Amino acid sequence: MIYYLLLPFMAIGLVVFQTTLADILFSGWLTLELSLVVVIYAGFRLDLVQGIILACIMGFVFDCVSGSILGLFTMVYLLIYMFSFFVSLRIASEKFYLIALFSLICSVLESLILIALYHFVFEFDMLSNALVVFVPQALLISVLSVGFFYMMHKIEGLMYGKTMRPPQRTGTGGISAAA
Amino acid sequence: MFFKNYRTIIFVGVIFAATLILLSYNLKYDSSTSFAKKIVLEAAAPVQKILKASIEGVGNAWMRYIHLVGLEADNRILKNKIAALQTELILYKEGYLEAQRLQKILSLQNDYHHSGIAARVIGREQAALSKTFWINKGSAHGLKSGMPVIVPPGLIGRLTDVSWHSSKVLLLIDENSNVDALIQRTRVQGIVRGAGSRGCMVRYISKIQDVKEGDVVMTSGMSNIFPKGLLIGTVSQVDHKDVGLFLKIRVTPFVDFSTLEEVLILAADQKEVPSEKKTIK
Repeated sequence: MIYYLLLPFMAIGLVVFQTTLADILFSGWLTLELSLVVVIYAGFRLDLVQGIILACIMGFVFDCVSGSILGLFTMVYLLIYMFSFFVSLRIASEKFYLIALFSLICSVLESLILIALYHFVFEFDMLSNALVVFVPQALLISVLSVGFFYMMHKIEGLMYGKTMRPPQRTGTGGISAAA
Repeated sequence: MFFKNYRTIIFVGVIFAATLILLSYNLKYDSSTSFAKKIVLEAAAPVQKILKASIEGVGNAWMRYIHLVGLEADNRILKNKIAALQTELILYKEGYLEAQRLQKILSLQNDYHHSGIAARVIGREQAALSKTFWINKGSAHGLKSGMPVIVPPGLIGRLTDVSWHSSKVLLLIDENSNVDALIQRTRVQGIVRGAGSRGCMVRYISKIQDVKEGDVVMTSGMSNIFPKGLLIGTVSQVDHKDVGLFLKIRVTPFVDFSTLEEVLILAADQKEVPSEKKTIK
């Protein structure tokens, strides 16, 4: 219960932190999307209900703070969480290069959803920004995710003595309806 | 039973549907001032304020550190610059003082209506028996032996040895120096003779003459060497008790001989030349 109570405040703190830091470091050129990394991490660690709520809240807060269309990043984060969740069922190993590659794919996926949405809904071509913004951002997220997973791995080791991998992540691909 | 078995799938479906509805609604209607958004922004504002202040504080500290790194080099450059400017300032000050001295010498030349040759003191000879110094002008500049040498406010000596580009000045206080003089107040004439570090003495003034301390002594113009009216000094002591026919009169020269840097030599052969034709070489 405490998780659900603290989650909105943690989400606000994280999103504000990443926005402020990105503003100082990149002057608005790139977004330091730590929230996306957290959603990917949640896909590998949390159960479905906890993860979906985290993705929704994180996305909603990001929508509110970034000033984008309300529900856009909520939807994107939800999709990415689900993608991460189902991939984590297939991957037994958590090698850092796999995490980096997967985060890169997730970031590219996010960019593609944004480009597609803006193209079809607003008829606005964001493809020209792909090389300048989306590719560096995807690379940045893959690097950040490796660091984040490593840090969380160490914290889990210190707190529980082992990595807290849920029992359904067996790498066999199975998940019950009542997960 | 159905809902219990598929509650997770139903939950996921409901969430997706809600998100899609939210997105669709916001795409169609601008809801930038929705209640939920207001709450989030209200909660985010203080966090953002604190974070921004903290990060900017760290950034400023880092920038100050960077500034300190360059400060040592800047300090060194500025110190060098200050030293150079101080040197330049001293040069300007020296030039200003020299100009003032030369202006005084020039005004003195105008006072005496003689053409003058300015020269710089290049050496001193302050032995016990000899009080002379060297100047950087000689016969090549028109100087001749015997010419009077003056500085403000009056006479300091005369040229004795003149070479091509330098000359020797025999000072008033040299014991070999004799200058025909008179007491300004009483017009009594005598001879001023050097007395070394004690200044000068006026000789050959009878004891019956009226001479007091403070009387001004000047050249009398009786010889062909010194023009009349050049200031020599003031009477500092008059001794009436000494044995002999003459008074023993001590004179303190007007000039401090230890601080001389530039002098003016009066050209005696141009004494009668009108002032507008005079030249300074």
